[in-house]
Amino acid sequence: MAPTKDTPFRSADMSMVQLYISNEIGREVVNALGELGLVQFRDLNGDLSAFQRAYTKDIRRLDNVERQLRYFHSQMDKAGIPLRKLDLDVETLAPPTTTEIDELAERCQGLEQRVSSLNESYETLKKREVELTEWRWVLREAGGFFDRAHGSVEEIRASIDNDDAPLLQDIEHNNGAADVERSFSGMNIGFVAGVIARDRVAAFERILWRTLRGNLYMNQAEIPEPLIDPSTNEPVAKNVFVIFAHGKEILAKIRKISESMGAEVYNVDENSDLRRDQVHEVNARLNDVQNVLRNTQQTLEAELTQISRALSAWVVLIGKEKAVYSTLNLFSYDGARRTLIAEGWCPKHDLPLIRSTLQDVTNRAGLSVPTIINEIRTNKKPPTYLKTNKFTEAFQTIVNAYGTATYQEVNPAIPVIVTFPFLFAVMFGDFGHAIIMLCASLAMIYWEKPLKKVTFELFAMVYYGRYIALVMAVFSVYTGLIYNDVFSKSMTLFSSQWEWDVPEGWTEGDTLVGKLKDPNYRYPFGLDWRWHGTENDLLFSNSYKMKMSIILGWAHMTYSLCFSYINARHFKKPIDIWGNFVPGMIFFQAIFGYLVVCIIYKWSVDWFAIGQQPPGLLNMLIYMFLQPGFIDIPLYSGQAAVQKFLLFFAVLQVPILLFLKPFYLRWEHNRARAKGYRGIGERSRVSALDEDDEGHGANGRPSGESDEGVGMIAQGVDHEDEEHEEFEFGEVMIHQVIHTIEFCLNCVSHTASYLRLWALSLAHQQLSAVLWSMTMGPALKNGKGIGGAIFLVVIFAAFFCLSCIILIIMEGVSAMLHSLRLAWVESFSKFAEFGGWPFAPFSFGTLLEENEELKEYLG
Amino acid sequence: MANGWSIFIGLAIILAMCTAAWVFAPKGENQVLWRSSLILAFVSCYLMWAITFLAQLHPLIEPRRSDIRKEFVHH
Repeated sequence: MAPTKDTPFRSADMSMVQLYISNEIGREVVNALGELGLVQFRDLNGDLSAFQRAYTKDIRRLDNVERQLRYFHSQMDKAGIPLRKLDLDVETLAPPTTTEIDELAERCQGLEQRVSSLNESYETLKKREVELTEWRWVLREAGGFFDRAHGSVEEIRASIDNDDAPLLQDIEHNNGAADVERSFSGMNIGFVAGVIARDRVAAFERILWRTLRGNLYMNQAEIPEPLIDPSTNEPVAKNVFVIFAHGKEILAKIRKISESMGAEVYNVDENSDLRRDQVHEVNARLNDVQNVLRNTQQTLEAELTQISRALSAWVVLIGKEKAVYSTLNLFSYDGARRTLIAEGWCPKHDLPLIRSTLQDVTNRAGLSVPTIINEIRTNKKPPTYLKTNKFTEAFQTIVNAYGTATYQEVNPAIPVIVTFPFLFAVMFGDFGHAIIMLCASLAMIYWEKPLKKVTFELFAMVYYGRYIALVMAVFSVYTGLIYNDVFSKSMTLFSSQWEWDVPEGWTEGDTLVGKLKDPNYRYPFGLDWRWHGTENDLLFSNSYKMKMSIILGWAHMTYSLCFSYINARHFKKPIDIWGNFVPGMIFFQAIFGYLVVCIIYKWSVDWFAIGQQPPGLLNMLIYMFLQPGFIDIPLYSGQAAVQKFLLFFAVLQVPILLFLKPFYLRWEHNRARAKGYRGIGERSRVSALDEDDEGHGANGRPSGESDEGVGMIAQGVDHEDEEHEEFEFGEVMIHQVIHTIEFCLNCVSHTASYLRLWALSLAHQQLSAVLWSMTMGPALKNGKGIGGAIFLVVIFAAFFCLSCIILIIMEGVSAMLHSLRLAWVESFSKFAEFGGWPFAPFSFGTLLEENEELKEYLG
Repeated sequence: MANGWSIFIGLAIILAMCTAAWVFAPKGENQVLWRSSLILAFVSCYLMWAITFLAQLHPLIEPRRSDIRKEFVHH
């Protein structure tokens, strides 16, 4: 019964396996399995908290290394050193040994110390440099003040003596009176000089003014170049200030205020000679500091450059190592035998591969104890593992976005691969737009490798769906040909079935009516181009597209419904066939199948030849329900009887749908009970041991001495997520009632829902016609001479851009969403259960792909 | 050349193509994928063509327009 291989048709056969790994090679085994990415381990230590687990210590240590690596990265960012990204497609990292990891950890430790000490000294030096620079500025600017102020001592004194004098009179106007060289100290005037951030100057001034009640004389100058704040590395504009005041206390107060305002106060000598010496000294020291600073920076940069070459690889290695230890934490440890016991899910058909991998690891380690892998029987629900390839991946993703298929049910992505793009194309049908889309998707596939690296999110999304786009474009080319639309114009590929019936005395402007050229010739492929631009074009195409929507919808839903038959057969549930599939199918076909037959029949009859009036099918369907047996305009003879029968037959299915399955299940359950069987789900065999260790299974830790060769498994955890299905008639009945109501109503509403195919294709066609008539149409009509040609080029550019943006991208997205809905709702509701849980194997590949933090290190 | 029988001729062609798709689908685990996708694609395309063809087989209305220029009347 089981197929020899896993196919994309259903999820892979899974088996629960138990691994016995010698403690010494636990890490290597997990490493190898992580590279393989085929086993999903179960947590066997559910009762232990994260801190109690065996390998938490190692994880902590690796966390520390990771932190150090992040520190290096941030330092590199600060120093502007580019990171060499790791391209995993080109380079492969050999699995590291424990000693290598230890060495790496030690090396990181050493490097961190070195980098941080370098950093520290760099920062101190930088601070020193800034201080010295500031001091130099203060000396320079304050010197200027002094030189000017010496000339105006008289003035200042006058202002002190004379209460009426303005307090802050500008000195510039009064420097004429510079004749007396007198010291400030003689006047008992002291001063404070320093540097303050420019944005604080105003507040500083105000505070000083208020606290000292105006007993000060403040002078300031802007430092033209911004100074770097060493703590934040940001440039700050600063001012030099010199404040004169008299009285020691006031000066002390000023100092305090300056400090509290974040100003730096520097020592400036009053004497100009001493000041000159100071300037020289400061310059010399600044030079020294700058030299040392340059050296330190160079060393630091060299160190970081060295690190930057290997940083990505280290981050990846440590990330993997951490994942390995986290996985090892899931294992249970048998102290007596010094073995690790692991349990997990893996695809049955990949077991040989896993076995040989394990064998390899054991051989390489030179261990005599082999790693044992056992398949164990369980009635736990296996995870759904749907293998994908480059082509199916995106399709599978849009299915998985809706839900995870039940284990082994028909993979809903199988029909989606064709139906989703096809229904899209029915809505998007325009040859021109489709060709552009086709080119885009082919380009994405041709330059697959280089484009993979593009990280722009919107593009990455389109790129991910490039194969969907390809199939959609191919189908759109086809439907565009069928609709005979290329940028809203038509193509005259074949000779038309119509010709204009020109009456005698016809003049231009009179209405012309078409007539068939040849009763035996019909336009062979797609819509006749003669319809294009006619007055009753929409009348014809609407009727055609509406009917097409119904037929395609019917086909899609019937096809989907058939999968429920395949599912029921696969799961060996005949009652699902007789209680759900068959009555459902009859119900659907008796109403909508009949409608489709009528549509096709009506098309195939030449109503004018037989001289009858063609019936309206919509009215026919409405009367079929409202007045069974009443025929408005007959479609065929015996119609009333057929319709009455079909309606009766359809209604008859409702009670079958409603009652057959629940009552059958109850009967089956009761029969089994009578014979003394227990229900299937009542005792669940969670894992290998349950059966053998019933006696001491309650404590969840049976001894490992079981003679069957099965180990010990923690059971307590598993019982919580396991549902024991006790048969309850009421529940089954309610479920079936809901299913019946839903199914019957959905038959109607879903069929109507397919009319969106018509609506969207109409909208697309009309929109592109409007675009043409607003851009290219007038440009082609009115363009004359060279101006017309240039105008035409400009208009064409506009037409092309608008076509791409509105008609391809916007309309395409909208058609895609509608098609997606048709797949998710109208199709999946007919067969898919979506009751599975996804298979998430322990794999380095997915780990590296999904980890956001690692992403920046990978090229 | 193209009349009511075309539907059946088209059907025959499509059936032949489906058979070919079934037989010549590349072997391997993706065989089922090839078969189902190709056949489904052929059938969908046929269905659409057939619907379009049938809709024009016995038309109930004729095209009508009044902006035809003299040169194109018999075109």
